[in-house]
Amino acid sequence: MKKFSQLAVPYIIWAALMIVLPMLLILMYSFTEHGNSIISFAVTFDHYIKFFSDPDFLLVLWRSFTIAVKTTIICLLLGYPLAYFIARSAEKWQNILVLCITIPTWINMLVRTYAWIGLLSDGGLFAQILGFFGVEEVEILYTEFAVLLGMVYNFLPFMILQINTSLCKMDQNLLNASADLGATPFQTFWKVTFPLSLPGVINGITLVFLPAISAFFIPKLLGGGQYFLIGNLIENQFITVGEWNFGSAISMIMAAVMMLLMMLVKKLEVRNQGGKEDN
Amino acid sequence: MKKSSRPFGKILMILAIVFFYLPILYMIIFSFNEGKSLTTFTGFSLRWYQHMLESRDMMSALYTTFTVAILATLISTVVGTIAAIGLSSSKKLVRDVVEQVNNFPIMNPDIVTAIGFMLLFITFKVERGYVTMLLAHIAFCIPYVMLSVMPKVRSLDPNLADAAMDLGATPWVALTKVIVPQITPGIFSGALIAFTMSVDDFIISYFVTGGGVKNLSIMVYTMSKRVNPSINAVSTLVVVIITVALVIINVVPAIAAKRPKKAEMGKRKIAIPCTIGAVVVAGIIAIFALKPEVNSDLPYSGQTLYIYLPGEYMGEEIVPLFEEQTGATVIVENFDSNEQAYIKVTNGESYDIIIPSDYMIQRLMEEGYLQKIDKSLITVWNELDEAVLSPAFDPDNEYSVSYFWGTVGIVYDKTKVSEEDLKEQGFGIFLNEKYKGDIYVYDSERDSFMMALKDLGYSMNTENEAELQEAYEWLVQCVTTMDPEIVTDEIIDNMAQGRKALGLCYSGDATYIMSENENMGFYMPEEGTNRWYDSMVIPTTAESYVLAHEFMNFVNSYDMAYANSDWVGYTSPNLAVKEDLSSEEEEGSYAGINAYIPRTDHPLDEVFVFNEEVKKLMGNLWSKVKIAASNAK
Repeated sequence: MKKFSQLAVPYIIWAALMIVLPMLLILMYSFTEHGNSIISFAVTFDHYIKFFSDPDFLLVLWRSFTIAVKTTIICLLLGYPLAYFIARSAEKWQNILVLCITIPTWINMLVRTYAWIGLLSDGGLFAQILGFFGVEEVEILYTEFAVLLGMVYNFLPFMILQINTSLCKMDQNLLNASADLGATPFQTFWKVTFPLSLPGVINGITLVFLPAISAFFIPKLLGGGQYFLIGNLIENQFITVGEWNFGSAISMIMAAVMMLLMMLVKKLEVRNQGGKEDN
Repeated sequence: MKKSSRPFGKILMILAIVFFYLPILYMIIFSFNEGKSLTTFTGFSLRWYQHMLESRDMMSALYTTFTVAILATLISTVVGTIAAIGLSSSKKLVRDVVEQVNNFPIMNPDIVTAIGFMLLFITFKVERGYVTMLLAHIAFCIPYVMLSVMPKVRSLDPNLADAAMDLGATPWVALTKVIVPQITPGIFSGALIAFTMSVDDFIISYFVTGGGVKNLSIMVYTMSKRVNPSINAVSTLVVVIITVALVIINVVPAIAAKRPKKAEMGKRKIAIPCTIGAVVVAGIIAIFALKPEVNSDLPYSGQTLYIYLPGEYMGEEIVPLFEEQTGATVIVENFDSNEQAYIKVTNGESYDIIIPSDYMIQRLMEEGYLQKIDKSLITVWNELDEAVLSPAFDPDNEYSVSYFWGTVGIVYDKTKVSEEDLKEQGFGIFLNEKYKGDIYVYDSERDSFMMALKDLGYSMNTENEAELQEAYEWLVQCVTTMDPEIVTDEIIDNMAQGRKALGLCYSGDATYIMSENENMGFYMPEEGTNRWYDSMVIPTTAESYVLAHEFMNFVNSYDMAYANSDWVGYTSPNLAVKEDLSSEEEEGSYAGINAYIPRTDHPLDEVFVFNEEVKKLMGNLWSKVKIAASNAK
């Protein structure tokens, strides 16, 4: 396949321009002082020191991390069985179900989140249903539950679609072979199906965890201003406070944390596949 | 195992579908709501559909959203797939580097990616608009496509292409006939994700757009001042378009099925492009159906006026009437905070009129982003309220003409809050544990610090760090002991529904709340409060200078000012309008509503003064207050 290697060249140039260069600009901001338009090149570490010396900021980072982990776990626990169900359905149904999962994501996320506000708010549908069963005065909106719900709602489709893709490409004969060789359905699942679907699972986790940790709109709308995550902190620095340099520094810190996590995940992935991809 | 009935899976699937579609169903139902509320259904009506169809803004937002999404999906899928195939045969080092680079847009918070793009476009002086939005979308979609395609390519036998070529296939044939068919599922799921990301994107579009180009997200977000069911109507339209597209798709495979072999793959292949195609066609038809006619006899025909103002801050008929009268085209762009406006304006975005608040006008003025108005071209001076003439930030009215004005105060439920408490405690009522769990705090550092500083007896423009620290402690006490909900414009709808007892509120919003719910009252504490002015100014980048003046006169003329104030609920600078709208005899909409008449004679009321250092300090302290609030939960 060496013949195709030059196909990557245009994209490498594009990526340098559209991805690396903006990141370099942000990196530069994170090490410089003051100014959204005028840049003085005095290098400073102040912004990083400011972040790490303040337990409050670290706490925000930790809280964002934990809520993203919770979201990811819930999405995985719900998403895997759903993806599995879809993958094992008749082909006609597969397409329909995949579409059913995808369509909601084509309707604007903000609009759907506003709909959740209506459903969860004090006089909303959920409160009325709960009231009907005699449960009164339960606050759902502006709680962690509401934020989790909003995140799962928005990101679950990505998990399902990713896992489903990797389940679908699986060779049916492998499963049959496993069964023929005397494996129970559970053994087949655990020893054959699940390991083979891991790339999809990992992609799914990536697509859920990453937007979840940096989400700022969902916590703001469903959690209220008192639900303050790292995404909100960054947004705040850029939009309200106007400290772009500090905001850039926090962004860089987050990017670094993410990098580390992704490297760990990659390690896991490689180990699981016995390193056979190293060609 | 394919045939097992799997009741568990079925139930879970059904629950999932309910979960996914419940909000959508809810949204559709509320698009038919008669009232403005998104939470209380008051009756059936089609008024929001009418509103949507009449709103050029909404239709063009719909068009932008889908054309950008479709183009970005097509381009990023093709480029991403090619790049993924290319990379799989590149050196490992190159591959790893590109994969790492691709992780940036996926891993970074959207806002960082957005800022990155914005800095890039600013640095290279690329004019922001449709093209930059499309470029940004392509840029952040490609990594997702590659994420989806790469595993598929990797799982291919590397000898496959070589085998094809040994058997005489050209590289092109090997690529299209051997490799691509093998990875088709990955390409489709990549395309799906790209489309989804693009349709859903808000923050990146928000930062890279310009010239009034906006997608649905931007429109919804900037509308948040008064989210009304017309956004539900737009979304319902989207649902309808998609459904129609799906029906078409179901017809196509039925025809394709007649030709046996190809049908199987064809179904999947056709589904998505068809959906997309149908959406494009519908979108284009919608746009052309609504294209306004241009009358070339009018004085300003051919000219364009760019107006930049807060969301939902102008009566609906103003722009169409102005266009009819002058022949000019008006492009309206919305911002959701003064700071947002500042970023855009200072980064060279061109507007003819901006409508920021007092302190921001002062800042823009001081930093040289505004030009003087030609006072001789303004004909409405004598109609304006004396209270809005010569404000402190522009004492000679050299730069600004008033648009709306008002105060900040406490909206309260008369059935739950005693007036004595209000009179005795003023803003201190927000620390009164009697109302614990029953209050809204406004999520803005300026307004919250104003409340705390006033209650402590300081000036809200204090530069004294000890006083600011004290105010900070006041606010921390409030959020940790009172269990408030820190929200922004959600207060409006929620107080109109009487959900909580107390909330900090702009007088104009309070006017609306009180006109919707007669149990609500508005109180301006004796400790003093914030009096604010939102005024029209002309930035140095303006291109239609004279036309801008024309608009300033137009919007403040009696009839227009009346319609404008009646629609928005904020106080008009036109004296006669203010009086008539609040008069019992004239049956004004806001008769008997004290919030509509701003207090002008109280010595402790102040207007914000801009001070960069104080603003930053407040901003940082306010973040800390919110962190304290999260910790208290």
